[in-house]
Amino acid sequence: MKLELGYLRVTDLRFGSPSAFCNGVLTIDAEAVRAMILENDKVADVQLDIAKPGESIRITPVKDVIQPRIKIEGPGGMFPGTISKVDTVGSGKTYVLEGMSVVTAGKIVGFQEGIIDMSGPGADYTPFSRLLNLVLVITPAEGLPQHEYEQAVRSAGLKTAVWIGELARNAVPDRSMIYETPGIREGMALYPDLPRVGYVMMLQSQGLLHDTYVYGVDAKRILPTVLYPTELMDGAIISGNCVSACDKNTTYHHLNNSVIEDLYAKHGKELNFVGVIITNENVYLADKQRSSDFTAKLCEYLGLDGAIISQEGFGNPDTDLIMNCRKIEAKGIKTVIITDEYAGQDGRSQSLADSDPAADACVTGGNANMVITLPPMDRVIGTLDYVTRIAGGNQNSLQPDGSIVAELQVITGATNETGFNRLSAR
Amino acid sequence: MKILIISNNPLILRTWDGKIPVRYIDGSAPEVLLAVRDLCHLGYRLLTHPLSGSIKPNETPYKSVLLAGTCCGTDTESILLTENAIDVVQRFGPIRRNWQERELKDFQLVDASLLAGAAESAIADLKEI
Amino acid sequence: MEKLRVVHYINQFYAGIGGEEKADTPAELRTGAVGPGLALTAQFGERAEIVATIVCGDSRFNENMEETTAQILAWVAAQRADVLIAGPAFNAGRYGVACGTVCSEVTEKLGIPAVTGMYVENPGVDMYRDKTYIISTKNSAAGMRDAVKKMAPLALKLALHERIGASVEEGYLPRGERVNFFEKERGSLRAVEMLLRKLHGETFETEYPMPSFDRVAPSPALKDLSHAKIALVTSGGIVPHGNPDRIEASSASRFGEYCIAGLDTLQSGDWETAHGGYDPVYANADPNCVLPADALRRLEKEGVIGKLHDLFYSTVGNGTAVASAKKFAQEIGRRLLDSGVDAVLLTST
Repeated sequence: MKLELGYLRVTDLRFGSPSAFCNGVLTIDAEAVRAMILENDKVADVQLDIAKPGESIRITPVKDVIQPRIKIEGPGGMFPGTISKVDTVGSGKTYVLEGMSVVTAGKIVGFQEGIIDMSGPGADYTPFSRLLNLVLVITPAEGLPQHEYEQAVRSAGLKTAVWIGELARNAVPDRSMIYETPGIREGMALYPDLPRVGYVMMLQSQGLLHDTYVYGVDAKRILPTVLYPTELMDGAIISGNCVSACDKNTTYHHLNNSVIEDLYAKHGKELNFVGVIITNENVYLADKQRSSDFTAKLCEYLGLDGAIISQEGFGNPDTDLIMNCRKIEAKGIKTVIITDEYAGQDGRSQSLADSDPAADACVTGGNANMVITLPPMDRVIGTLDYVTRIAGGNQNSLQPDGSIVAELQVITGATNETGFNRLSAR
Repeated sequence: MKILIISNNPLILRTWDGKIPVRYIDGSAPEVLLAVRDLCHLGYRLLTHPLSGSIKPNETPYKSVLLAGTCCGTDTESILLTENAIDVVQRFGPIRRNWQERELKDFQLVDASLLAGAAESAIADLKEI
Repeated sequence: MEKLRVVHYINQFYAGIGGEEKADTPAELRTGAVGPGLALTAQFGERAEIVATIVCGDSRFNENMEETTAQILAWVAAQRADVLIAGPAFNAGRYGVACGTVCSEVTEKLGIPAVTGMYVENPGVDMYRDKTYIISTKNSAAGMRDAVKKMAPLALKLALHERIGASVEEGYLPRGERVNFFEKERGSLRAVEMLLRKLHGETFETEYPMPSFDRVAPSPALKDLSHAKIALVTSGGIVPHGNPDRIEASSASRFGEYCIAGLDTLQSGDWETAHGGYDPVYANADPNCVLPADALRRLEKEGVIGKLHDLFYSTVGNGTAVASAKKFAQEIGRRLLDSGVDAVLLTST
């Protein structure tokens, strides 16, 4: 499967009419977007706002971050099974609006999750402080059940991303990259001497606010399976996961999966990037056993020499991570796991909820319990009563001068477990 | 296979009582886990992982666990997993703020959702036996 | 700007007093820098100076810990030190324990930050890694320059109460607390490169060492005790009178092999304990209470066990490096197997 990504650099984002993408400037007709989102009667109101890097702005509570893309050639459309039909994606040509994102914000449940600071010390810990962000603050219809609200917010974000992507249909990319994965037989013939490496990607799949969708299918219900890496680039996997802010994978992370990018960079040179195996993180123990058995079996079946395993979330996923690692290593396949840590505010507690000597090669996204002080910002985009209710903060989080003392966990994407960031710990 | 829910979540009691036996614990999440541990020593085994969900133990007051009754001996895996979970939960300390009624209802909802998927799987497995 | 005041602790060897034979040198206070202190001074430049050096023999320190430490604390306090530096001790066990003790006591009792340097296998590391800062050094004085280059900047940071970074950033051995920092490359790239090294059999360093529970699968039980040859092995330090093999009272670097053929018991006076970690009075009065040769001989005579092996093996467990203990065990095990021993009774204190 071969996909060409055409990158369109967005240098500025503003409201205006008509909506257009021209010479790097993205102009959005806010009313038009608003009208589109309000077509869904589950949404009572939506406020649009723009946050730019360096501005004294705090966005909270963040639900998801999505990058606008548009499918130019090849089967299917963006976000198959959710927005577009279920055609298999990942081939042809897709344009990427680089440098901006759509951020959805809104309560869904009473406790708050997810802060993006566009400047100050908090900005260093989230990749989204470097993007031009179009923020959608979504208010649900009166009395709407929580899971329907979550669905409505998810849908609004994805639809907006697609709507914006459409504006770039006739633009000319600044640069292009070709990502190609040969079939098994072809790959073996092309790279007989290179180590065969796979990417085992664990998807959060536990319930409300803890779900991921693959071609529209709830990841709770899947058996581990194989995807071409390029399928993720066209939105085959989208996030329904809002918890916890620091180590949940946003849809942006799925589209721009950094393990996939970094494996592709060495593909055909130092390794043969065979493909992606997706698996889940169910609460039901029999599912954990079945999924890890399947994952190890698929790794072996694909003749892998090595695998990188990434995870998502806190607590019981550590058990899946260790099960996957142990079983894959037992097949003689070498692994590296990517995780984050909850080592306590003093860094002295056991970082993971599970462990095994087989996991001897580990990359960490940092200790999520680290305490950080976020200075007051001039403007808050989001819901107003958020401050003392942030997960990772407490009654005393808000200081008299308006700054917030909370744990790193409150920052969206801070300790990402797909290795998206440079943050680490020792 | 007998199955049993241990929970301090009133929504769980309302949802499942009558369909699956619910042992309601009128106490904290750590107390729920201690009850689970005790039952594991008495021959029950875990069907769900005690650290369900990514909401931290010092954020949400609710915990629900699904167990199966065994006929023969104790399941060491279950005991170890539960003890480990108790360690993690204790490490996080007590709930950090006074949630309002509306927020408590939301936590109940998320906890119930986490259990629901597992409960359906367990019932399906039951039918096979 | 006033120079920061540093006090340096070293042993008799680095002070030029002498080697092992002078290890009982009592603690003394000298002005200015001595020995490796000169190298540290060069690193400090204008920012700090060693105002005093405390010298003490390693045996003297380890055998008189309480009073020596109290004396040292008094001296350090009187010097108004901003930071204390000890060693580096490299792989010298008793020196490492001394450095670790001095550093942790100075920090705990006087609130003065401290830093030392040790090789990762020095027994002082496991004992003090979380109580002070131990720079990771090579395993001998050949690593002095490298050690000083890392100890000096960390000492300055500590003296100025600056934020101390992660272990790999500052060069200290992990202290059991995870510290966040930003790497040059993102995690996914670090993972890919780590995997390639692992696939090629090259060394790599995990960013999170899994907690190791050194689990040893027990051997199956003896089928027939009455026909089994049992050997005695101890880390309680029982040796012939006079300690002919000079097994050290702590941080033992060797073990002894001794004959008890024909003996019904260990007679007081013929044997003694070399172990420096417990009051020797009772072991010296009756060595059997640490190495129960008398009980086993009785069991042999009664036919409960087949035979008591003629040789026993002894070392001192006090502050002995895990790596050393593993080495001894491998050698002792080999000799026991060669002698047809079926099981071992291992005693410690």
